[in-house]
Amino acid sequence: MKRIMKRLVGFTLSHSTAVFFVLILLWFGVQAPQFLQPESLANIIKQSSFIGIAALGMTVVLITGGIDLSVGSVMFLAPLIAGMAMRSFGLPVEAGFVVAMVVGAGLGGLNAFFIVVLRVVPFIVTLASLFVFRGFGTWLTSSTQFDFPERMRTFGLSNVLGIPTPILVFAVTAVAIHIMLRHTGAGRQIYAFGNDREAARKAGLAVELIEARAYIISSVCAAISGFVMISQIGRLDVGFGQGREFDVIAAAVLGGASLFGGVGTALGAVAGATLIQTAKLGLVFTGVNLYMQPIILGTVIFAAMVADGIRGRRLRDKLARTIRPLGSS
Amino acid sequence: MTDLLSLQGLSKSWFGIPANRDVSFSVREASVLGIIGQNGAGKSTLMNMIGGVVKPTSGHMLWRGLPYEPAGAADATRIGIAFIHQELNLFTNLSVAENLYIDGFPRRMGLIDWKRINERSRQVLSRLSLDFDPSVEVGRLSPGERQLVEIARALHNEASLLIFDEPTTSLTPRETERLFATIENLKSQGCTIIYISHILSDVQRLCDDIVVLRDGELVSKGTITEFPIPLMIRSMIGRDMGGMFPPRSNQPQGATVLEARGLTQPGVIEDVDLTVHEGEILGLFGLMGAGRSELARVLFGLDKCAKGTISLKGRPLEGPVRAHIEAGMAFVTENRREEGLMMDASVAENLTLASLAAFGRGPFALIDRDRVAERTERMREELNIKASDIHSQPAKALSGGNQQKVVIGKWQLRDPDLFILDEPTRGVDVGAKYEIYSLIDQIAARGGGIMMISSELEELMGMADRIVVMNRGEIKGQVLRQDFDRERILALAFGEIAE
Amino acid sequence: MSSSPVPRRELKDKAVDLLLSDQFVLYLSIFYVLLLAPFLPMLVTPANLVNVLSNMWPLLIVAIGQTFVLAIGGIDLSQGAAIALTSVLGAVLITGAADPATFANTPIWGWLLTDAGGPLAGVDHGVVLAIAAMLVAAVVIGLINGMAVAMFAMPAFIVTLVAMMIFSAFALWLTQSGNVANLPDDFIRLGRGDIVSVYFGAKEEAKIARRAIYSLVTYPMVIAMCVALAAHMLLNRTVFGSQVLAIGMNRKAAEISGVRVRRIIIAVFVLSAVCAMIGGLLFAARLEAGRPTLGGGSFLLDVIGAAVIGGTSLFGGKAKVIWTFFGVMFYVIMASSLSAMNLSAFQIDMVKGGIILCAALLDVLRTRLKRERVR
Repeated sequence: MKRIMKRLVGFTLSHSTAVFFVLILLWFGVQAPQFLQPESLANIIKQSSFIGIAALGMTVVLITGGIDLSVGSVMFLAPLIAGMAMRSFGLPVEAGFVVAMVVGAGLGGLNAFFIVVLRVVPFIVTLASLFVFRGFGTWLTSSTQFDFPERMRTFGLSNVLGIPTPILVFAVTAVAIHIMLRHTGAGRQIYAFGNDREAARKAGLAVELIEARAYIISSVCAAISGFVMISQIGRLDVGFGQGREFDVIAAAVLGGASLFGGVGTALGAVAGATLIQTAKLGLVFTGVNLYMQPIILGTVIFAAMVADGIRGRRLRDKLARTIRPLGSS
Repeated sequence: MTDLLSLQGLSKSWFGIPANRDVSFSVREASVLGIIGQNGAGKSTLMNMIGGVVKPTSGHMLWRGLPYEPAGAADATRIGIAFIHQELNLFTNLSVAENLYIDGFPRRMGLIDWKRINERSRQVLSRLSLDFDPSVEVGRLSPGERQLVEIARALHNEASLLIFDEPTTSLTPRETERLFATIENLKSQGCTIIYISHILSDVQRLCDDIVVLRDGELVSKGTITEFPIPLMIRSMIGRDMGGMFPPRSNQPQGATVLEARGLTQPGVIEDVDLTVHEGEILGLFGLMGAGRSELARVLFGLDKCAKGTISLKGRPLEGPVRAHIEAGMAFVTENRREEGLMMDASVAENLTLASLAAFGRGPFALIDRDRVAERTERMREELNIKASDIHSQPAKALSGGNQQKVVIGKWQLRDPDLFILDEPTRGVDVGAKYEIYSLIDQIAARGGGIMMISSELEELMGMADRIVVMNRGEIKGQVLRQDFDRERILALAFGEIAE
Repeated sequence: MSSSPVPRRELKDKAVDLLLSDQFVLYLSIFYVLLLAPFLPMLVTPANLVNVLSNMWPLLIVAIGQTFVLAIGGIDLSQGAAIALTSVLGAVLITGAADPATFANTPIWGWLLTDAGGPLAGVDHGVVLAIAAMLVAAVVIGLINGMAVAMFAMPAFIVTLVAMMIFSAFALWLTQSGNVANLPDDFIRLGRGDIVSVYFGAKEEAKIARRAIYSLVTYPMVIAMCVALAAHMLLNRTVFGSQVLAIGMNRKAAEISGVRVRRIIIAVFVLSAVCAMIGGLLFAARLEAGRPTLGGGSFLLDVIGAAVIGGTSLFGGKAKVIWTFFGVMFYVIMASSLSAMNLSAFQIDMVKGGIILCAALLDVLRTRLKRERVR
């Protein structure tokens, strides 16, 4: 009996996302059967793209053992500058998209400069840039709503081969991050860096470059996610993206990325984002109070983090140094 | 056979203190050279010079007959020298193949060419007669298998000289066998190996030639057939240290201070029994990795212990560190910088750290500053700590010897019954060592029990009333002061004899 | 030619001395005021100085709590949420009347909050009881943070980030984002009541213009000074404070020396939440309402920025209440000068973000200079 419990705990810890997912689907399915209809499930995936794209970038940062709290503000500022460029130069949406990505890369580079060159801890740097980026953006809009050209919404609501554009962008980003992490040297080196920074340095890897790259990728992803979301609404509200860093970090952690670094996958981020969105939508479906939702989500994130903490401790215990072979006596 | 690497009169001194003096020997190509010596015999400095980490003060090296002057570790790697350390530099979250290729993946159309990597990795692994899949994650491998992966990485980098530093300490007998087979195999393929170990039977089995170091000098060398184990031990035994130690001023009393029975923690220590008496200095000797510090941490309640009992002055001890301290234990750890001192805090703050509660007055535990000043000043005089102002000078501004006195003083303020001293003279210069020894003697003379751990046998023989010897987490025997005999103690420490 | 490097080195040494001194931020504040006064004369008017002071006290109390957490090498991002939650809780208990239009949908309507206000409205010592309840809530928040950090070995910033999310959401849920007003006078007095006022008008005038009265000694000031004094004693004069700093300087050494590390970490997070609650009490009393959005937005930056710029290190082990005092002073003066320049709230947030970065850089620089100094 005790053995079964132990294995159950171990399984839950190592597959916490899947366990959460099944429990949540079951719970909402029982509460509101219409929740399990194909239409609402398709809707979940579409809505997951917003958090999901940013979560892909966050996963890369978490693998290095860092954190990026500024994603919510990048979601706001990068598309805003892109929108201004579109309006003043009459750029097409595709060019605006590129501008947003370039601005995102620049903002990420700013974070990276403070973290990698000036050696200030990541959470302080990105906490500050969270306010700096948003303040700058709000100053640009004079704290009013910013309207994008009409073609923006056309782009956001378009389909390619029957697939809604947001889902397509999400899929492309996910595949790109997956390939980068899984199948390129740069990606594997991010894992090596997150696992043991010193060993990475000794192995002759360019650790500064690896770390900087992660923050740039995270900001580019946040910029894309913001742009895609806004393209569905057609305008940029003052508080857009505010507080979204929670959802993004939560999606990445639920997707199996460890706050202690070295662990995480693109696929996990997709699953985590879908899970968050499922939970959010499920709460709406079952008529849970609007103000109750962040409390429940917060508790879920907290549970995921405790699971991560326990997992991390178990891993460290496993790698503890021994001076004689275990169990040879 | 030709010489792959020759050292010619290599010397290195640190601030005038020699670590290696005039060491000359050669390593024949496709042979295994064993290097043995006590702790502090100069093995690691020598290896660091070969590895390009440390620059020799004088002397030079030849690689395949040509001058070899490495400017850094990268130079050594480039010409084909690889180190296999006890602490592995592997990424546990990556696969075996990825660990081999982490600094440069072969690519196909911009992406990693997994087929080629796995194929080549398999080839490297098969050279080592390893049958596991190169795509398996390193974190899933046993310590022994990881060691083999590290060797594979060296081979992958086309190393022709592999230097092993204590590779077998955490391996099971089966894994050790596998490692030895691998080393034999490598030798037959033309690789050259330097093998450093405290396990003399392994050295005898594995090596073709042997070099013995003592106090930084080469004392003898030759082929393995000329070196039976007793001769190895005799060669390693060092100089006489008479006059370096204060005379012991008391005899141990009868009463028991510390008693440990059957302490066992899998992978660390095994069935350890230990007794320390009042006024006794118990020396705990063992080679690096014998489990001395680990035992000390268990005794002090810092690390857990699956089985066994500890009692202090007859009272059983359990629970956290705090309970041990309050019962009357004190622990001077081997790592002063990380575990002993608050380097940025003043001498006085460091001195009071372990006895803060005693300085608290009133319901808010306000610190009685006058008493702090008085007690710390008295401790400064008693221990002769050389500091300009103990209330403003930070600990990091003191010399190593004075830092150690501060750590001892921190515990002295509690007046403990049992002192555990782990390498109390490490990083302390010769003059200050004598002062530390006198301090230890005085503590014992006042009736305190002392367990002194040291890597320097001479130091223990100079100070201890009794020496207990550990090997691979077990106690191999004890020797009383009147029976002190270097050869015997070393043989116990090397695990060559047991009682 | 050859003599020039010597005085330059002396100058550099003096600059380093100044940077590392206790009063550095005080000098910085004075310099800042002197520099800006010619361009912004209103900065040094009595009215503005009174305003600066009244902004300073609540922030000082909260920043002192943060100072303790920074001293152990942690950080508490959940202080704003603790303020929101405790202020709402306190206000709900003592409010004299609640509007059903706003609160009928809240989970507390009917049993805790009614038309006639909260359960402690009009009760003898109701304010004291409400403050006691707020204190209990703050202790619970601190315990949760502290235990998660101490027991699960999770990074403090992550634990408190999630705590911030949960507790501020909880505060919003309690009142469904409504502000709880109609607080008793006893409570409001805590936020703005004068004890000593100064009148700068002409003596002869019988009727004193309200605008000419300047509060000199106020309740918040007395409360904040008491907290600051107590915190100073606690951090620098007691066994507890020494142990807090010891943990921040070298946790391992403290542990081996028998310091109850986990217990003290938990206590420090409780202290931080309690300080947040006291500061929040003053904010709520001044606003005459309990607001679930109190302590949100860039308030977090104010607290951490003020503490770190004062000299308390993000790396732990170096903290003084007097540093935080000067840090808060500088911060409030700067914020007031920014609004005097007619900058918008968002531009101020931007500058504040920049200041926290500068403070963190200054911390890195100070740590490095101090290390070099000894060698």
